[in-house]
Amino acid sequence: MKLKKRVKTNRIILALVSLVLGFMIAYSYRITETAQDGRVITDRQWEQDLNLRNQLIEQEELNRTMQQELHEKQEMVREFEADLANEAQVYFNLAEDAEKYRMHLGKVKVKGPGVKVTLADGEYDPMEDNINNYLVHEHHVFKVINELYISGASAVAINGQRLTHNSYIICDGPVITVDGNQHPAPFEISAIGDPEVLVSALNITGGVKDQLVNDQIIFSLQAVNDLVMEPIIAKK
Amino acid sequence: MWLPLMGLVIGVIIGLLTDIRIPEEYANYLSIAILAALDTLFGGIRAQLQNIYDEKVFVSGFFFNILLAASLAFLGVHLGVDLYLAAVFAFGVRLFQNIAVIRRILLAKWSSNGEKEKKNDIF
Repeated sequence: MKLKKRVKTNRIILALVSLVLGFMIAYSYRITETAQDGRVITDRQWEQDLNLRNQLIEQEELNRTMQQELHEKQEMVREFEADLANEAQVYFNLAEDAEKYRMHLGKVKVKGPGVKVTLADGEYDPMEDNINNYLVHEHHVFKVINELYISGASAVAINGQRLTHNSYIICDGPVITVDGNQHPAPFEISAIGDPEVLVSALNITGGVKDQLVNDQIIFSLQAVNDLVMEPIIAKK
Repeated sequence: MWLPLMGLVIGVIIGLLTDIRIPEEYANYLSIAILAALDTLFGGIRAQLQNIYDEKVFVSGFFFNILLAASLAFLGVHLGVDLYLAAVFAFGVRLFQNIAVIRRILLAKWSSNGEKEKKNDIF
């Protein structure tokens, strides 16, 4: 009886011991398993992995250097483009200036709103004994031209002939000579500029128009919306 | 005999089901403790076979060895010396010795049984 009881306690203690052992083994197994967690790779795989990694690193380095090169090149291209843009701007300005100067010099056809002034000899008047009193003289033409220039005309032509910075006008008896070309009366002076300004400048009281009318000259003034001036032609 | 076996099965189940995470460095201590436990277990089996089994010695040795091995490993980690190697070495050597002794005893028993049977056959 006593022996049996001892055996039983013995078994219980043994059960406790084996429980602890089993727990420890199972727990350790679990921990090891989770720690490794499918990272079991063979030597060959590892080597291959390393190889691939090295290749990747090489490629990335190559990529980076290429990228840097690309950036440098792009920077260069950008500089070139900026230079080009600058140059283009300069050329554009030059071309614009050239065009403007050509217009001023009368080398090209110009077009724009303006006025047309016609000066015609006065009617024959038997009361006047001096015919010069009702003819158009070059100083009349000068007056009109000067007034037009002062009022801001950018191009002036007489009977279709453009005047330039070194034009000359001479009274040559019945005609006037502009740069060597004779023009008979009536003289049609056309000017490009703001028509309103030009018209009111000529019409001002005691101004050119009044003076010319005083000199028995038939003066007609007409604002034109679309005036075309041919370039200066060579001497005829 | 079924009670210790059931204890083992229950222990394994509990161990597999527990979801307590312990830091990786403490897993070492557990391994050492398992080694100590196995060593004590085989020591107990040997003692049983040699008829010098003492329950108090066995149980106290079982738990004490576990704690000692674990604390030795702990100390080793904190001192920077691989002291757990000492435990591994000691328990490993003793484990092999115990298993060798058990094998010899079993072999001797088996051969003596065989001789007896032979004798029985003859006579």
